[in-house]
Amino acid sequence: MTSESTTAPANSGFQSETANHFGETSTDASLLVNDLCLFYGDQQALKDINLSIPRKEVTAFIGPSGCGKSTLLRCFNRMNDLIDTVTVTGTLLLEGQNIYANDVDVAQLRRRVGMVFQRPNPFPKTIYENVAYGLRLEGKIPRKELDERVEWALKSAALWDEVKDRLKESALGLSGGQQQRLVIARAVAVQPSVLLLDEPASALDPISTLKIEELIHQLKSDYTIVIVTHNMQQAARVSDFTAFMYLGELVEFDKTDDVFTNPKKQQTEDYITGRYG
Amino acid sequence: MVKKDGLKLNAWFASGEPWVWMNAAAVGISIAAVVGLLLLIAFRGFAHFWPTSVTRLDVEFSNGVSEVLLGEIADQESLSANQYLESTGQTAEALEPEQAVVERWLIKTGNRRVAPPDFRWVATHYIKKIDYPENALVLERMEWGNAYGFLEAVYQDGELSSAGEGEDVWSDLARRLERSVGLRVEIHALESGELNGINYALERVRLERRSLDRRETVDDATREARLSALIEEENTLLAAFQDAESRLRSLEESLARDSIRISTSSGQELEIGLSEILRAWRPNGMSTLQKVSHYLRSLWIFLSEPPREANTEGGIFPAIFGTLMMVMLMSVLVTPFGVIAALYLREYAKQGAFVRLIRIAVNNLAGVPSIVYGVFGLGFFVYFLGGNLDQLFFPDALPAPTFGTPGMLWASLTLALLTVPVVVVSTEEGLTRIPRSIREGSLALGATKAETLFKVVLPMASPSILTGVILAVARAAGEVAPLMLVGVVKLAPSLPLDGNFPFVHLERKFMHLGFHIYDVGFQSPNVEAARPLVFATALLLVILIIFLNLTAIMLRNRLERRYRGVEA
Repeated sequence: MTSESTTAPANSGFQSETANHFGETSTDASLLVNDLCLFYGDQQALKDINLSIPRKEVTAFIGPSGCGKSTLLRCFNRMNDLIDTVTVTGTLLLEGQNIYANDVDVAQLRRRVGMVFQRPNPFPKTIYENVAYGLRLEGKIPRKELDERVEWALKSAALWDEVKDRLKESALGLSGGQQQRLVIARAVAVQPSVLLLDEPASALDPISTLKIEELIHQLKSDYTIVIVTHNMQQAARVSDFTAFMYLGELVEFDKTDDVFTNPKKQQTEDYITGRYG
Repeated sequence: MVKKDGLKLNAWFASGEPWVWMNAAAVGISIAAVVGLLLLIAFRGFAHFWPTSVTRLDVEFSNGVSEVLLGEIADQESLSANQYLESTGQTAEALEPEQAVVERWLIKTGNRRVAPPDFRWVATHYIKKIDYPENALVLERMEWGNAYGFLEAVYQDGELSSAGEGEDVWSDLARRLERSVGLRVEIHALESGELNGINYALERVRLERRSLDRRETVDDATREARLSALIEEENTLLAAFQDAESRLRSLEESLARDSIRISTSSGQELEIGLSEILRAWRPNGMSTLQKVSHYLRSLWIFLSEPPREANTEGGIFPAIFGTLMMVMLMSVLVTPFGVIAALYLREYAKQGAFVRLIRIAVNNLAGVPSIVYGVFGLGFFVYFLGGNLDQLFFPDALPAPTFGTPGMLWASLTLALLTVPVVVVSTEEGLTRIPRSIREGSLALGATKAETLFKVVLPMASPSILTGVILAVARAAGEVAPLMLVGVVKLAPSLPLDGNFPFVHLERKFMHLGFHIYDVGFQSPNVEAARPLVFATALLLVILIIFLNLTAIMLRNRLERRYRGVEA
């Protein structure tokens, strides 16, 4: 992919405009987590998480099943709100703005923080309509501009060449790997500043996984990426920073090279050397 | 040895083979029952339109009286001698010596006015001679049912045109019949088109005059102006009416020009005007091709024309139309109502004991006897809603009710109420089947809950919604009991859809196939004549429901194909 195709066409004003809604800060952290606790009813799932996720880098969350890494990820776009029993304390700053403040428009927030799920979940619509879905939510967009932005998003997700001749066909006819890239294109189309990837390759075959990983490399020049993965090799391959979580606590957070070559905590070392998890 | 056999049997049971056989047998019996039912109805119903041969029977009864009967054999049965004697009140002399079984035929002899009854049972041992006269004539008349006899002469304006047994007399009649058919079409067009329209317009003028009288806010000058305009309009309409009526009279006179004379089997001479005769045919002389064409014509008449003779003759078009329109209107009313209710119950209401209670109540609503809905519809829709609508919007027509009387709208609403639980339940089921991941995908793109529901979830649930509508249609189309209270009548003078503004008349009463079956079969003055029509109407009702269901099923399958491959 050329750098040209990753630049948004037509509406460069769009991103800064929504960014202003949350206010710019001068820190290098895109997301700043302070004393974040999360409860499912009485049960505490996240315990005093403090974390600073750097802008335009790839941060990986690793840890055994049930350690809370997906739950933490879902805090970043408030997907946890969908569960009635969840309560969250602490603050979570996106570009300096607390996203758990009362006056935050959750729908607006989710347009700033895109998310890709474990299993590809394209809508049963055409490929074109899938990518245009988020754009159409913004209101009426001229057909020509919509076409351009769909094309741009599909190019960003390295899918354009494969689907450009069948945009009007159902997205359900794509392979699993293509569907997952389509979902990424769908998320990218609304030009978020953060992309959350929840085990994006766990349901895919090795070749599709490789493509997704390449894509993550390309996307990080434009987006802050947070990825949850079970696969430690994948974390080592794609991420710049790694957070190791265990039983709802953040055990260790550092540059990926350091975590994998020189872990500071015994638990981390045990996990990455495969002693448990 | 015994033990070994027992083991074998156990093994056979364990293999599941007996279950397979039992299941296959159950399916087989069900299919046989359904197919048998349809075949019986189809045969009894559609055989009616076939031009049956006319039989001439020379009968000599045991008391020495002899008679010649001419007609169609409508039925036959065997009775034991005792049963026969008891049912006819005769003594043993009526039978042949040693006779144990009596075979008897039901002969449709027609000619109801001159030689009643028009259906006669005749024991076969009285029959001395059977033959099928080539030129036996069947006349389908406007009134008094069929006439059977032999053509003697054709008259025009009372003057003899042709007479005798020759073919030329028959072709003379055929030609004149063609003319009268044409005239009848003209008369019908005039009556149902022009005259009907004028009547409708006159009624509107009358209502407007009444409303002018009642309104007090209008000043006298405008009132006078408007009144004179209305009177002028009324006069124009009355003039048009008289003109149309005089044209109608001249057409009717022209129709009454010709007449024929026939001789019946008993030797009577009958004079029948051609205005009385709808069709004439000679079944014994017809080729198979002619019979098929006659059959198709009869079938078409049955499907396309209104009934005559207290529903025992003619067609059932108004009933087909009424059923179809009522069911469609019902679907249009029930779908949004049911879907919205299900959406609220499943997506917005806080799931708990109260919602569970409501859900149970909704499910049980489907089990309430339909006549109860009829009573509710009559009390609430017709008298309360309709009565108040009349007070508000149609005060000029009062005390004659407009909506305050059973009609199409209230019948559809009552049935919509009756079927709404089905739609609610299946829509809810569809909503629960939409994978969470799809909803999350939409929400994660910044869609609100409502946007997610209307843009993604509801379209995906549409096959389930349609399943609910299919079930609702199947139930509503077959429902009769509540309709008798809220809008169905034995004979509706006009369709709920016609050329008079505003074209759709939902306040009108209508005819319905289900009620028509009941009416023709059990309320008719001539049960024997009506029986085949009961079967034919029943078959048509079944076909109509199948057609409605197939349409909805095809639509659903198309939607399902579209959303196939989405998994939880």
